[in-house]
Parts: sequence; structure tokens; C-alpha cells
Amino acid sequence: MKKMITILLSFGLVLGLTSCTKKEVSNEKVLNLAVSAKIKGMDPIYANDLYSSNEVARVYEGLLEYHYLKRPYTLVPNLAEALPTVSDDGMTYTFKIKQGVKFHDDKAFPNAKGRELTAEDFVYSIKRLADPKLQALGWWLLDGKIKGLNEWRDKYGDQPKVDYTEEVEGLKAIDRYTLQFTLAKPFPQFLYALAMPFTFAVAKEVVEHYGSEFINHPVGTGPFVLPEFKQTNKIVYTKNPTFRKKTFPTEASEEFKSMLTDAGKQLPLVDKVIVNILVESQPRWLNFQKGKIDYIGIPKDNFDSAVIPGKGITDDLKAKGINLTVTPSLDVTYTAFNHDNKLFANEKLRQAMSAAFDPYTANKLFYNDTALPAQSVVPPGIAGHIDGYKNPFIGPNLELAKKLLAEAGFADGKGLPEITYDCPSSTISRQIGEFFKQQMAKIGVNIKVVQNPWPELQKKIKNRTVMLYGIAWGADYPDAENFLQLLYGPNKSPGANGSGYNNEEFNKLYKTAAVLQDSPERTALYEKMNRIAAEKVPWIFGVHRQSYVLFHSWVKNYINADFNAGQAQYLNVDITAKQEAIKKL
Amino acid sequence: MNIWVYVLRRLLYVVPILLGVCLIIFVLFNVVAGDPTHLLLGKHATAKQMAELRHELGLDRPWFFQYLDLVKSAFTFDFGRSWSTKQTISSMISEGAIPSLTLTIPGFVLTTVFSVSLSLLVAFYRGSFFDRFSVFICVGLMSISSLAYILFGQWFFAYYLGWFEISGYDSGFPNWVPYVQLPVLIWIILSIGPDLRFFRTIMLDEVYQDYVRTARSKGLGEKVILFKHVLKNAMIPIITYVVIQIPFLILGALLIESFFGIPGLGGITLNAINSSDFPVIRAMTVLSAVAYIIFSVITDVLYTIVDPRVRLK
Repeated sequence: MKKMITILLSFGLVLGLTSCTKKEVSNEKVLNLAVSAKIKGMDPIYANDLYSSNEVARVYEGLLEYHYLKRPYTLVPNLAEALPTVSDDGMTYTFKIKQGVKFHDDKAFPNAKGRELTAEDFVYSIKRLADPKLQALGWWLLDGKIKGLNEWRDKYGDQPKVDYTEEVEGLKAIDRYTLQFTLAKPFPQFLYALAMPFTFAVAKEVVEHYGSEFINHPVGTGPFVLPEFKQTNKIVYTKNPTFRKKTFPTEASEEFKSMLTDAGKQLPLVDKVIVNILVESQPRWLNFQKGKIDYIGIPKDNFDSAVIPGKGITDDLKAKGINLTVTPSLDVTYTAFNHDNKLFANEKLRQAMSAAFDPYTANKLFYNDTALPAQSVVPPGIAGHIDGYKNPFIGPNLELAKKLLAEAGFADGKGLPEITYDCPSSTISRQIGEFFKQQMAKIGVNIKVVQNPWPELQKKIKNRTVMLYGIAWGADYPDAENFLQLLYGPNKSPGANGSGYNNEEFNKLYKTAAVLQDSPERTALYEKMNRIAAEKVPWIFGVHRQSYVLFHSWVKNYINADFNAGQAQYLNVDITAKQEAIKKL
Repeated sequence: MNIWVYVLRRLLYVVPILLGVCLIIFVLFNVVAGDPTHLLLGKHATAKQMAELRHELGLDRPWFFQYLDLVKSAFTFDFGRSWSTKQTISSMISEGAIPSLTLTIPGFVLTTVFSVSLSLLVAFYRGSFFDRFSVFICVGLMSISSLAYILFGQWFFAYYLGWFEISGYDSGFPNWVPYVQLPVLIWIILSIGPDLRFFRTIMLDEVYQDYVRTARSKGLGEKVILFKHVLKNAMIPIITYVVIQIPFLILGALLIESFFGIPGLGGITLNAINSSDFPVIRAMTVLSAVAYIIFSVITDVLYTIVDPRVRLK
């Protein structure tokens, strides 16, 4: 018994000694971030989700990046010396890359000193993306786009080893610092691909040195260093001591001019970045309120306690020096019809169901009234979106819905079978499904909500066994093509067009626009397609979400962006302000 | 029978059990769950790329060979790499097991010590207000959802009072101690209700046995009866209940790990299920089955130690 008491007292002592959380702020500039999903790994070719690509971009870099302080999104050189020279036919892109850029020091290099980046590194990195043995998750980006690359990939599909020394016609290092791409077909979005982490530069020696463990040993040219990646819940990056001369931008769009106080300063502006992986929203929210996390997207459940509609953040948060930024996201939520199902060939039925659905109430219920009801497929903020356009079939308009349903041959829903609505298995998806069911019941359409684990839903969509399904799409790059391709007939599932919509006129316009560079002519085509999508109702449109982010007073230069990989290098921390502010938290 | 022969014979049962476990996993994931390639390749998957990935993963091979691969990995403990994270599964398990155990072992040991001690006390005061009150508290604790304890505990003790860390984990002793204090406390609160009720029933069963009446009639004190006789005789059901929980400690605590940001095996398993990461699910299932068998053998052997009347056959 005495022994037991001793053990318990010892445990209590350990508890007591190590308890009591501290409020000390170190003099080091540390950025404390929180992400809500596990990071898959640190290999650029597998970084197909937002979280992994953000982590990859702290260490690796690409030829191009988005200007940090300019909107609309503008591509600028990163590892490239300048934007490329493009041949008259738009098929050949020639880049000069920056000289003197060094990979991080690592034992994979001779004397453990990082060597200089060359054009060959990009040739190698892009071949890795195409390597059939690696099954890169970003291959879709360049699939069929670079001359000879698909042939190279196909050639080694069944062979035991892939030969990286074999030349690919459209991918050449002309000299140590000159890189040339020749496209297989016009691809106006090509430059966006070069700003995405999939195409970032890796060093052949490092890949070969670590073999299959390369995914855990990120060695890039980027602003931060991570000696080894582990699947823990905390990733700690330190400033790259050999980072090249790269400075904070000296130009900015009007809304970001106030951030020019750091203009011309060497990047990165912080010494360390700590990424905490917190899957649940409550610990993220509580840690933010204690100042242990620098910025946070407001969790749905905490929205009412943080934001007063139309007035901004609450007085309590204001008193703590917390700021709010609201940014429209380039995305769209929707309920897709399976167009292989003969029932939905009936356009009037689709229009009737769209008119019966109330996106405004859905916005209030599921997005805290922060989203923008979608009129069509292209979100605001990119060319192709039509400002002020009202989709004639957006609900709630029960009168129109009932009229259209009667014209479709199903007056008051008579003669219609039960329609299944498939959704993922989360609580929120179920609630959205139940809301949809309730809306359709108003015109006599009987819906059955079916929840599925995510893989099962994907399988059903692919196998065309769904009738309706609720889903969302976020942009890969800021071009309407990325949204319109979701309705392009030849992209039918298992391609991106999961609903299998196939409209001849739409397909023709898409094909024409797909080869045009950004121009008023292309924008006109995009807008025309956007109208067709609205009026033919291939989907029932939901909302374009907006992201509400809170950040502490000591965080400088924070901008919420859809394409913010590499953002950490531009962020700054005011230590004096933090020491003061943290006392109030 | 020699104890080692018994242990060896019981361990040999692992073979048919593992074959059965492999068959169930195989049927569940190859027949019921279907093709994982769409999920693995993401939203831009094409039919061609899905076929290529199926080939790379060996999913286009005859089912019999796929089953043999599964059996081989179960017996060699070489589970390969995760489809989703590309990490070696052995490193995922070794890195995840320690954080899980730093939470579950203290929680488990303390809960067991508290609940066995309290059950003796309750048996001592059986029928009194203290006994009824403890049963009432146990039922009360069990009636509340585990999520409520986690959410409230995290908000009140960690955020509002600032007594504990809100979340996080640092590897290496004693760095992890501040991060597991509140999770361990919540674990104890979650487990003490059912444990105390179970142990109380066992103790009361023993208290009414003939030998206790004999002991009392011999004039032994109630404390001696409880600690020397009742506790010893109650050990068999206690051992059965306690030891069989041990293999599950390695698997971690799903919700607690998730809310407190502890990078344990609970989270790894959950992620694997969500992403159809078959090799990881396979590894976790096989390991649980093996651990379960081993600990059930240990339970049997312990019976012979605590009760010399027990013979292993």
C-alpha cells in the first residue's frame, strides 16, 4: 500500500513540476502555424493536396511563383531569371535560370555542401514527374502536354528501370542555365504548371542517395530547411543559411500597399517556422486564442463567437489585437446530376430542381452566411465570371420550379422515382443532404440521402452508379479553364467531369478556348460557356465559399490566398508587439 | 503439462488464426471496398493512370497471388510501405507506438490501481451510502459521451485555468509529460466508471463466499479478509479483464489522440481507413490479432501463478 502511495505521489509530483503553461516569448522570430490534416510527405511529385504542397513549398522552389502582393494573380520569376521567351506559335518556352542558386547543404552532396542549381535539375525533376514507376500524383498536369514526354513515360511502363539519360524532345537543358520546353499541343495554362509544387526542382544526387526515403529528406533551394521529415504532429523548419538574395517585393496592388514596410528586405523574414498538425478544430481555436498559433481560419462552430455579421470581429477579439481578413475562395460547391441516367436528360427536370433549391438558406445554415451563392461554375475573381449575372434557374422560386416540373412531365412529382443523393459520411455532408431533401420535397421530388465513406463515393461516381451527388471543386490555378473542364464531355469520369455532362456546343467552345492565350476573345468564350452551364443546369449550383481568417497583431504581411505555397518567407513577426499582446491573452 | 509446451501449442494457434484474419481482411478490402486507385490518385485521375497504378500496386494480379502476398507479409511482419504516405509501415508503427503508449500506459495503470482500490473500499462499505453513491457516480460518468469530457476538459482545465497544455507533443522524456497529463486524466475519468463497477461486482461475489464467512468466524479483521483473501481470490477475473486490454493500449486512443494532437497509432489507423490505405490497415489488424493471442496466453499463464489450483491442459 505504501509503495502504491509513493508511486501516486511521484506521479503527482511529475504532474505538478511540469504543469502550468508558460507565457514567455523568445527573442527568435518564430512563425507558429496550424494545419488541419496530416502531411503525406515531402516529395514535390506527390504533393497533390493543399497541406502537403504548402509544406513542400517551404523547402523547394519552382521556376515561377505568384507575386505575393499583386491581384489578380500574376506570375513572376522565382528560380527563373525572367519570364520565358515564347516562340511565335506559342509552342516553345525558353527560360534562363538564376545563377548561383544553391541546394541546401546535405550529406548527399560532396563534402555535404549544397551544389549550384542548373537547368538539368529541372529536366530531371520533370522526368521524375513523368516516371511511370513513381506514379506521381501531379502527372495530370503535364500529361500529353510536353513533346515526347508521354512517349518516354510509356516506353518505360513495362521495363524494370527508367532511363533518365534518354533525351525527351520537348524537355531540354540547352546549356547550364538555359532550359527549353516544347509543347505537344497548345497549352495556355503551361506557365501556371511551373508555379505548382509538382514541378519544383529536386537534385538527382539527393534522390539517388536516399532512394525510397527521399520523401523524408527534403533538400531544395527554398527559404527554409528541414533536415528530416517525420510523421509527427509538429514540423520545425529553420531559415536556410545559404538562401540566395531574394527580397520582399517593392511593388503592390493598392490593397496591399501597407505591407511595403518590409520592401527590399532579405527573405525569409522569420528564423523558424513551426507547423502544428491539429486535426480537430477546438484545439486549433483554443491555441490561437492563447497566442500559440499566429493565424487561423475560423472554425465553423466558433464563427458566431468571433464574427458579428456585417460588423466584423467581436469586441473581445478586437481588444486582444486580433484582426480579420475575408477573401473569396476560388471554388464552387454543387450537386451534380449523373448525366448517364436517362431521367436527367430531361432539362426541365434539372431546371425545376435547381429552382426549388434555396442556396441562400444553405449559406446561412452551413457557411454562417459568409459564402456567395453561385450563379454558375466560374467563381468571382477570375476571367470568365460574369459580374452581376443572375442565373434564371437559381432558387428559391417554388412557383417556377413547380411549373418546370409539370412541363418536364412530372407535375407535383408524380411519376418520378425516388432519387438518391450520395454524399460523404461527415456530419455536415449529411446535414446538407437532409436540407436538399427537404427543399426537393416542397415540389414533390422524393430524395433519399445516402452517406458513403469517401472511397466508396468516388467509386460510385466513377462507376456511374450515383443519381445525384454533393461535392465541391477548388482551383488548381487561377484560370476559368480549370472549372470549365469539369463539364467538358471528353473529360468524363474517371476524368474530372464526374457528372458526365456532354453538350456539343459547350465542348466546341471549350476546345476553341483551350488553345487560346489569355485575351478578350478567350474571356468571351469562357463567359459564353459559363452562361450555358448556368442555363442548361448540368449541376445544381451551391456557393462560392469565402475564407475568414483571424491573425494576431504581431503577424505582419499576412494575406489569405488560394495559391499561397511559399507564403511563410514573406511573413514577419513583431516580437515586441507579441510580448505585449500575449499578456492580454 | 509443462508450461512451455502449453505456451508453444497456444502460440501455434497463431497460424490458423492469422490465415483467417488475412482472409477476412482480403475479402473486406478487395471485394467489398473495391478499387482504391481513384482515391490515391486524387481528383485528376484518368482511366489510364488508374490502370497503371493498379499494375504498380499489384492489384491486377490474380486474387490468389494477392492473398499469398498478404499472408506472407502477416508472417514476416514486412508490411511494406503505406500507399498514401509512402512511408515504411514499420517506421510509422515504431514512431506512433511510443506517443500512444505514453498516453495509454499511465492511463491504464492508474485507472486499474484506482478502480481496484476503490472496489475494495466499496466492498468494505457495501450497502452503505458510500457504496450507493459510488455506483451512482460510476453510472453518471459512463452516461456522458467521451467527447464531452474531452471538449470540456480541454477548454476548462487547459484553456480557461491554464493548468495543462491545450494540445501538442514533444518526443523524449520528460518533454512529453506536460502534453499527456490532461489526456491521461480524461482517460482515467472515462475508464473508471466501467472498471469500478466491474471490479465491485467481482469483490462482492467473493465477499459472500463461504471462505469469507469462515475467516470472519475465526475472528479475522475485515481489512485482512479483504486484502489477504478476497483480493487474492478475485485476481483471476481481474487478470482476465486487465491483461486482455493491454494489446489495445498499443493501438492508442483514437479520439483523445486526435483532440490533443498526439501523433500516436490511433491517428495513423484512422487516417489509413479514411484514405483506403490497405497496407496500413492490414498491418494494424494483423498486429492486433497477434498481440491479442499473445496476451491471452499470458493471461492463462498468470492464472497458474495467482491460483495454484489452475492447471494448463
